[in-house]
Amino acid sequence: MSRGASAVTRPAEALKEILIKNTKGLIGFSIVMFFVFMAIFADRIAPYDPYATVDKPLQPPSPKHWLGTNDIGQDIWSEVVYGSRTSLYVGFTASSIAILISLIAGLLAGYKGEYMDEVISGVIDIMLALPSLPLIIILAAYLGPSLNNIILILAFFGWVGGARIIRSQVLSLRNRDYVEAARALGASSLRIMFKHILPSLAPLLIAEFVMGTTSAILTEAGLSFLGLGDPTVKSWGQILRHAQASYAMQLDLWLWIFVPGLFIALLGTGFTLIGFSIEEYTNPRIRKRI
Amino acid sequence: MATAQTYLYKRLIRSLIVFFIILIINFILPRAMPGNPASILANEHQLPPEAVNILTREWRLDAPLHEQFIAYIKSIFTGNWGFSYQYYPRTVYEIVMERLPWTLLLQGTTTVTVGLTGIILGMIAGWRRGSAVDASITISAVIVYAIPYYWLALLLQYFLGYKLRIFPISQALTPGAIYHSPIDYIADVLSHMALPVLAVTLTAYASYALIMRNSMIDLLGEDFVFVSRAIGLPESKVMRIVVRNALLPPVTMLAIRAGYIIGGSIITETIFSYPGLGFLIYQSIIYKDYPVLNAAFFMLSITIILANLIADFIYVLLDPRIRYGERR
Repeated sequence: MSRGASAVTRPAEALKEILIKNTKGLIGFSIVMFFVFMAIFADRIAPYDPYATVDKPLQPPSPKHWLGTNDIGQDIWSEVVYGSRTSLYVGFTASSIAILISLIAGLLAGYKGEYMDEVISGVIDIMLALPSLPLIIILAAYLGPSLNNIILILAFFGWVGGARIIRSQVLSLRNRDYVEAARALGASSLRIMFKHILPSLAPLLIAEFVMGTTSAILTEAGLSFLGLGDPTVKSWGQILRHAQASYAMQLDLWLWIFVPGLFIALLGTGFTLIGFSIEEYTNPRIRKRI
Repeated sequence: MATAQTYLYKRLIRSLIVFFIILIINFILPRAMPGNPASILANEHQLPPEAVNILTREWRLDAPLHEQFIAYIKSIFTGNWGFSYQYYPRTVYEIVMERLPWTLLLQGTTTVTVGLTGIILGMIAGWRRGSAVDASITISAVIVYAIPYYWLALLLQYFLGYKLRIFPISQALTPGAIYHSPIDYIADVLSHMALPVLAVTLTAYASYALIMRNSMIDLLGEDFVFVSRAIGLPESKVMRIVVRNALLPPVTMLAIRAGYIIGGSIITETIFSYPGLGFLIYQSIIYKDYPVLNAAFFMLSITIILANLIADFIYVLLDPRIRYGERR
């Protein structure tokens, strides 16, 4: 953890190590930035309004419509470009909420200890054993298809793993000398938690955030693919769903399936690579293995 | 042995709690919806008001919640799960039980193929660490790590199914086929399973391979390996010792992920129209067939809870520290 601690004193330096100097990190960062760029400038990159019927339905790819048109005559490439917004939005917000919950739960369990720890650890243990994917699906089915519902459901199931890791990290930090010293000087629990323990958790939190974003993006795509996504917003999973429902394969319109899926996979890979890079940075022992 | 027992008891209690939570969720969700199951069913199929009354009485829908809950628990354990909205007058129990074996077959097979592929590839990569074989296994594992399996499934379906016509692209049996011998039947079942199993295996093996590789490499640096070699044990024997000890992390992981693999069946089965519980869940979402949705969800959850318990038993068998009670 010595490097993790130094990451706190020079965050810019740490980011440079993780995102630029590490090859995996650099590739991952470039991929993610590519999609962030696509999402921000979606209205300029997309050649058409993805919600408007602009041509005859089910057209094959052409210079006019790079990926063809869908079953109701919308431009598929424009749909795909706008889909990046949904993926990133759901990924980032669900993961942010989840990391906040896991931070609070992990800090309380690890620092307060005793009965608080018993309760929170018990909840974590049970939540980890719940069949989460079927639960997410049935909840989404009952709550109704809206982006906010999906984000809340993903956050609700997303905090558990992180909370467990943060808890054990806090447990090992609370008895460090500098924390003991702060306590001896009469610092309040709240102050110790936020001023002394929280900064040392930073690398862990970032790693958890990155992993959480990946899984939120993949799960959202899966839900949309099943028809549980928000029907009013374009998303990659939903495009795949319409492609399958319109017999894209039988019609030989395979790019309709290939590109949105490729983008889900690429974005997922991007975040995963950044995750690997963070892990190598905070835990140099791993680097020897590779 | 005492530790192994306490460990298993703890796991058993946890499974029971999880089971209870599933029961409660399954009870609350339909009741949180507008309208009650009896009147919805009556609307869909133009049943006379007497039928609504009979159903209401049978499900105790007009009784206070705690009585409803008792009636619900009774009906859950007696298999009296009501009628499907979509396939009325077929019962939910009939429909679900018809689908369950297919899910068990598909998920049992994929759990084994995923575990074996991952562990064997990880073993080779770890043993021959730093070689070209290692590099290709590791790199391919990192790449498939983030691929959504339903996308790979769609691509396999397109290329191997539609283009090359090697495997059937959907369902579990050829519709209307007549089998002359059990072997014909088995061959038909296997060929229909090929694409879904391939898709799940190709995308899910990666994490096991990476974990097995790391576990092997950690062990290969241990003193006992050095000593084993120094006293002249043949390499095959050294390898066997290392592999046996390295198995624990991937098997633990397989235990934790068994639930995920089964949970993932919803999407796999949907793509291949495979007639299991997952596809049933999808169909009942589309048709808003809530009784079937709840029952299928309930059965799928039980399958997952049981799979996790079995994995816990295997874990105890494999980990000598737990078996002989010297943990911590």
